[in-house]
Amino acid sequence: MNNEAAYWITLAHLPKWGYVKLNNLIIRFFHENNLSIEAFFQLSEQEWKSDYNLEYKDVEDLKKAKNDIPNHAFLAETLMNEGYELIPITSPLYSKTLKENLKYNAPSLLYVKGNTAILQEDSIAIVGSRNASALSLDFTDHIAKKAGEENKVVVSGFAKGVDLKALDSIIQYRGKSIIVLPQGIMTFGSGFRKYYQQIINGNVLVISTFFPKAPWQAELAMARNPIIYGLASEIYVAESSEKGGTWSGVIDGLRKNRKIFVRIPESYELTANPLLIQKGAIPVDLFGNRTPDTHLLSESEKPQAIKANNKKNPNNPQPTLFD
Amino acid sequence: MTRSEAEEILQQTFKIACFYDEQWNTIDMILNGERVLLIEKTGFGKSLCFQFPAIILDGITVIFSPLIALMRDQVKKLNQLGIPARCVNSEQTEEENSKIIEAAKSGKIKILYIAPERQNNEEWMEATRQMNLSMVVVDEAHCISAWGHDFRPAFRRIINLVKLLPKGLPVLATTATATKQVEADIVQQMGGDLKIIRGNLMRDNFKLFVIKVQSEEEKLIWLGKNIEKLPGTGILYTGTRVDTEVYSRWFEFLNIPSMGYNAGLDSESRIAIEEGLMQNKWKCVISTNALGMGIDKPDIRFIIHTQIPQSPVHYYQEIGRAGRDGKPAYIILFYAPEDKRLPEAFIEGGRPSIHKYEKVISEIKKDLLGERELIKKTNLKQNQFRIIKADLMDQKIVREVTIDRSKKLEYVPGAPKLNTQIFEALRASKTDDLNQMIEYVETSQSRMNYLCNFLGDSTPNIAESCDNTGLKKIQVIVTDEWIQKIEDFHGQYFPILEVEKKGSNLVNGIASSYYGFSNVGTTLHRCKYENGGDYPDFLLKLTLKAFRKQYGQDPFDLILYVPPTKSGNLVKNFAIKISDILQIPISHQLIKHKVTKEQKNLENAYLKSDNVKEAFRYQNPDELFGKTILIIDDIFDSGATIKEIGRYLTKLGAFKIAPLTIAKTVGGDKL
Repeated sequence: MNNEAAYWITLAHLPKWGYVKLNNLIIRFFHENNLSIEAFFQLSEQEWKSDYNLEYKDVEDLKKAKNDIPNHAFLAETLMNEGYELIPITSPLYSKTLKENLKYNAPSLLYVKGNTAILQEDSIAIVGSRNASALSLDFTDHIAKKAGEENKVVVSGFAKGVDLKALDSIIQYRGKSIIVLPQGIMTFGSGFRKYYQQIINGNVLVISTFFPKAPWQAELAMARNPIIYGLASEIYVAESSEKGGTWSGVIDGLRKNRKIFVRIPESYELTANPLLIQKGAIPVDLFGNRTPDTHLLSESEKPQAIKANNKKNPNNPQPTLFD
Repeated sequence: MTRSEAEEILQQTFKIACFYDEQWNTIDMILNGERVLLIEKTGFGKSLCFQFPAIILDGITVIFSPLIALMRDQVKKLNQLGIPARCVNSEQTEEENSKIIEAAKSGKIKILYIAPERQNNEEWMEATRQMNLSMVVVDEAHCISAWGHDFRPAFRRIINLVKLLPKGLPVLATTATATKQVEADIVQQMGGDLKIIRGNLMRDNFKLFVIKVQSEEEKLIWLGKNIEKLPGTGILYTGTRVDTEVYSRWFEFLNIPSMGYNAGLDSESRIAIEEGLMQNKWKCVISTNALGMGIDKPDIRFIIHTQIPQSPVHYYQEIGRAGRDGKPAYIILFYAPEDKRLPEAFIEGGRPSIHKYEKVISEIKKDLLGERELIKKTNLKQNQFRIIKADLMDQKIVREVTIDRSKKLEYVPGAPKLNTQIFEALRASKTDDLNQMIEYVETSQSRMNYLCNFLGDSTPNIAESCDNTGLKKIQVIVTDEWIQKIEDFHGQYFPILEVEKKGSNLVNGIASSYYGFSNVGTTLHRCKYENGGDYPDFLLKLTLKAFRKQYGQDPFDLILYVPPTKSGNLVKNFAIKISDILQIPISHQLIKHKVTKEQKNLENAYLKSDNVKEAFRYQNPDELFGKTILIIDDIFDSGATIKEIGRYLTKLGAFKIAPLTIAKTVGGDKL
């Protein structure tokens, strides 16, 4: 793949092409037609049109993008020189969990630095508010400790509050972690300095799906959330309000029948955690243990809610051709 | 495009009637989007093979070249032809470079020359995202091979870049000197689909001679007697920077117009000397091999080496600069049996010991650090550190990363162990090359054929223009008159101590000798470290002679001396004697008020300068105000001590501080 890096950068950042559209194209040339990305870009416009059913505008987009490949070769060289790796969705290094969870919405290209083997390990995400309470942070610490003991990777989003606590705790317990960046990977200088030891020891992997030089933006932080949820087999929610990234991430996850654990709050806490539990999340105590006899939710309600959701949103609408 | 169509454009734009066949073959492939390695001798016209397609293709051609002189020269010629070409290099100001990069982005430049090191520059990397690139050229492509004679680590990134460029974007790599091994290495590194065009390397206008001598003096004598008899102007290559100075001073002594040149000069001086060379200002320019690569002077009539190069490839490359106009050129190599020690030392000392590598690796594992911090932490010389860094990067044990705009060295997770076998293999290969170079001296066959064979050109031409094939052998005849001249020269030749700096009243000083010359160094060593007593009178006489040469009748108010770290009163006693003879009062009040380490044990300038920082005090500071001071020491090495004292005395109001030392070291002297 190394020599194809410039092609992948070009394809992955085609303006206004969403992941679904990109992945459909990738499946066509890579899996169905057995073409490398380089060979795909060598095809004529006519072939793009006829063999791939691309519309005029799509062909124009690809033509324009093709001119950028030499420029992206310079960028790719810089990235590799600085130790970043590019993992396209066709690579065996790509996280299987991410692919299974997000399906056609999986990002076409990951920019990473660190131990890529972590991507294939069992993983959990700990999510929650930027202004989390002390209890939420305690919960985060306990979950991280448990993950460390069970040799599970902790995925977090490098935001203040729960995210950073999750990262610091798992590092403290000498476990492994994935940091999902809300920015381009080349703009994470201070982070690479801070987690230098963990990265060279193979305990931390940093991931970004954005253009490598993109600075932090609120939209990118939002766009990053599904990646955090997607990279984990289980999701632990420390604290959620009734809107924002955590909330919408959990709701989306519940719709897709993901395993989501939510901390049972104390009665004096003002959180939307009970609401999430009502909507089908699994309640857990401060130590992450499941509590079968929860006072918040009757067992009969929970599966029904999920079943209803499943009917409306079949979680596997298109064939999986990625592997 | 057909050849005749192309030649029409060639005539219009370059004022050249037609291509050579090999030029056209290359250009044809380039225009078809192929990747080509072109191995042709100097003067063949390799540049046209990329300059022509560059003006045909849509967009900008980027040429990675390690040779600033060549960039300048070619840009000038292209601009004269009306072709928009520019270069980006470290000799221009950042503003100039920025302007040019901006013009490249907006498509105003067709041909851009750039040093491979620029790949480390953020502004350039940013610009590369916006340029409309039509072709990439790797000039002096042998620099990408560690097996070549001029390996440059910065080329590694260019190779990686080439691998990433899309199919169909033409790439041309050119070199005049690639052995079969280097050729194979280039092909392997640049990826398989590289087409190779290799021309013949014979230069039949060369008249090659080897002059065997027994000593350095014999070289000086032959040159003194004969250099002006050689036709035209030329270049004299020496083995070291110090030798460029010695030979320059010798020609000066004999009133032979010449000029010294080395890579240590500032860029303004270098440009001026290169221009002077082009205009035949001097009979010869005396230089290390830093001069000449890429200089397109057609009529260099002679090239003389006072020191045997490391390999036949180095030699072929260096002499290649002569006679590009096809007219006869004299190619002379001096050889004394002890000359091989210098290249041997280069080969042996080329790499630091393994434990120094381990030390660097261990520091990098601990923390993300920059070069300067690492040099300090490891107490390594800068050049040694850079060799280690390049090797570790080459072996993918460390890499250089940018953290908040500054460069740091990062350990590569899961990196392999240091491979020392490759060092052994490289050393063995270099020793073998040196032996082959010595074989060139001893051979009885055609010297040009010998060089071509070595370079993998086995075209069965027979060149008959050397002292083995018809030309008369040269011998050095030493006469009393010339022995006397040499003695007179030695008696008046003293190395300058360059310490002048803005904001300090320190002036450039003088030493009585280089440390390694005659018996000066050994005498100093005996007195300092083997209890050999006070410095003997011959050193005193020599130092006073140097003093008079440099300072003449300049008045001095006071003599100070550098207080010792370990060697007791040697310098004090020496300074007292000088004070007696010159009748300048001496003061003993300059003292060290903090414990310092011996400078000679510190390997790099950063640590030496830190070691003596704020280390000196003068007991009655007021009495130095407005004074002219002679500061005496025995050995001038990095100059850090003298500079620190100069800084301190300037602060106390001294009007002038003039250094005088017994010896000056050159890099690598063991004290």
